Amino acid sequence: MNLIRAELERLGARRFVQLMVVLLVLAFGITAATTLAGSHRPSAAELADAQAQAAAERRNMEQIHDRCLANQRGNLPEEQSEDYFPADCSEVDPALRDRMPVAADYLNGVFTFANDARPLLYFLIAFLVLFGFLVGASYIGADLNSGGVVNLLLWRPRRMTVLGTKLGTLLGTVALVSVLASAAYLAAFWLIGQVAGQPGHLGGEFWSALGGIWGRGMVLVLLATAAGFAIATLGRHTSAALGALAAYAVVWELGARLVLEILDAPKPDQWMLSSYLGGWLTGRAEFWDDQACTNGYSGYCDGLYALTWAPSLAVLLGLTGALTVAAFALFRRRDLM
Amino acid sequence: MSAVIEIEGLRKTFHSLRQGRRVAVDGFDLLVESGQVHGFLGPNGSGKTTTLRALLGLVRADAGRMTVLGVRAPEDLQAVTGRVGAIVESPQFFGNFTGHRTLRLLARAGGVPTDRVDEVLEQVGLRDRGDERVKGYSLGMKQRLAVASALLKDPELLILDEPANGLDPAGIREMRDLMRSLAEAGVTVLVSSHILAEIQLICDHVTIISRGRRVAAGRVDEVLAGFDRHEFLVRVDDPARAAELLGAAGLAVTGHDDHLVVNDVEDATTVSRTLGEQGVWVRELTPLRPDLESVFLELTGSAAHPTVPRQVDDSALPEGPRDAAIDLDARGVDA
Repeated sequence: MNLIRAELERLGARRFVQLMVVLLVLAFGITAATTLAGSHRPSAAELADAQAQAAAERRNMEQIHDRCLANQRGNLPEEQSEDYFPADCSEVDPALRDRMPVAADYLNGVFTFANDARPLLYFLIAFLVLFGFLVGASYIGADLNSGGVVNLLLWRPRRMTVLGTKLGTLLGTVALVSVLASAAYLAAFWLIGQVAGQPGHLGGEFWSALGGIWGRGMVLVLLATAAGFAIATLGRHTSAALGALAAYAVVWELGARLVLEILDAPKPDQWMLSSYLGGWLTGRAEFWDDQACTNGYSGYCDGLYALTWAPSLAVLLGLTGALTVAAFALFRRRDLM
Repeated sequence: MSAVIEIEGLRKTFHSLRQGRRVAVDGFDLLVESGQVHGFLGPNGSGKTTTLRALLGLVRADAGRMTVLGVRAPEDLQAVTGRVGAIVESPQFFGNFTGHRTLRLLARAGGVPTDRVDEVLEQVGLRDRGDERVKGYSLGMKQRLAVASALLKDPELLILDEPANGLDPAGIREMRDLMRSLAEAGVTVLVSSHILAEIQLICDHVTIISRGRRVAAGRVDEVLAGFDRHEFLVRVDDPARAAELLGAAGLAVTGHDDHLVVNDVEDATTVSRTLGEQGVWVRELTPLRPDLESVFLELTGSAAHPTVPRQVDDSALPEGPRDAAIDLDARGVDA
């Protein structure tokens, strides 16, 4: 318990952590302030106009679908027969769309919480992932590099306990900061929607979808934190984690992707970590396989394939777990100079 | 006396892709007994710090047996860690923390009452600078802070690696006084240092290491006595006549510009009587006792050559790993 308290104090007192928290608050403040400044409560006339436009758009979509079906049956009036319709009318079926047009889509300069909460949450998660990775890497990297770990081991000569306490304290702190930051963030924008915009349609489905993204985002933040910590432990320095991240992005995500495309390798995206990040965060990420439809036969070919949350989580957990186990195993045996 | 630190046959080899294999410690033995102030000497790169790091579990030994306060090290070190204060080389601290906060965090991590912090800051002379950030400290102040961190636990055994590093002359003297007072209070001290005169002043026992092997161990006075050639410096008005008289009396004499050195003389009166009886009056008669520096340089072969710069690995390599060149009973006279 004493060690945890000491580590908490040490983590909280680190300049880099304080700087990242300030940046988080700043990013939050700027986003909220610009949203507030650029939004207004819609007048009744604006609202009625937007609702009318949304209704008209919905009607238009239904008419296109109806005409498409009529065209397939061959009973489309001749003056409409030159219009373009897809071979498969389900492509224009409004019932199969993710969402139907709503009044908020036609309100200019009005912040609608129901519409904008999701991208705002993605932005917050991206920041927290970066926050966790950098804080995780610098926390142990600076300690290893400065001799802080050696000092601590002279007091607590149990390497696994010391490193485990550091990682546990770090994950707990990042989780707490993330929960508090996301709660404050969403509450602030909900409030902006209430007083200077539109709350939008906030039913149970909306909150469960948003909660799902938030939950997956929090898992991602913790995985990134542990990965930063593990890589910096393996490399004995904060820069090892930053270098590994930059090298991976340039060499693999850019370079290897290019090579795989030149070689016409099937499904190159399935070799990229970013695909699994997307698959986990969104629940399902779809990719196009260029090679799926080059078999020489003509006709319909679906080159789409998806990465869902389950294999994505397995890949992310497996990678982070492997890095963490390797970091602990190496630290257990390493000579600390 | 009971053994506080025992090291037998310690070996450590470092491997690196670029530099290959380097033997840092090669069958090294060390014995420190309760109440001793034990000096640990060796040239740069001789294996002192590696030995201390291995003892404290920071470096994995390849072979050897080590105990600290009766428990196996590093396996069971946790059991006695609260009784051992240590600094290894120049410890680094977070620059943005104050000295006080640095010690408070260590005290908290180690379960030591935090009110000890003020006591040890006072003890090392940082009482009025404890609230300043460490990055503003001089090297000597950081060293004092490191010593303070080792004292926090009110240890029975204090292991100090180069504690005088960066200290000014007054600081060195304070460190010497501190170690003396700790020894008087019953604390066993193992101290490595390059300041040999300090070691000679502070320590009652010494172990000298060269290229990873022990070359001497025992009480400081006994180690020095092993190198005493019973020489006397003699100054007279007529050195040529004096040399002639002493030679005639069967004494070996070496002439220098302004003095003579007489070798293998058990009693100074032999010299004064021989010369006085022939009317040659002695102006100065000084015994030439070996000091730790000369013994150290001779044992480790690290004396400077007038024309060739000495390299770090040019120290003497003792014959065999376990055959110490000199072993004046490491358990000392009381054993």
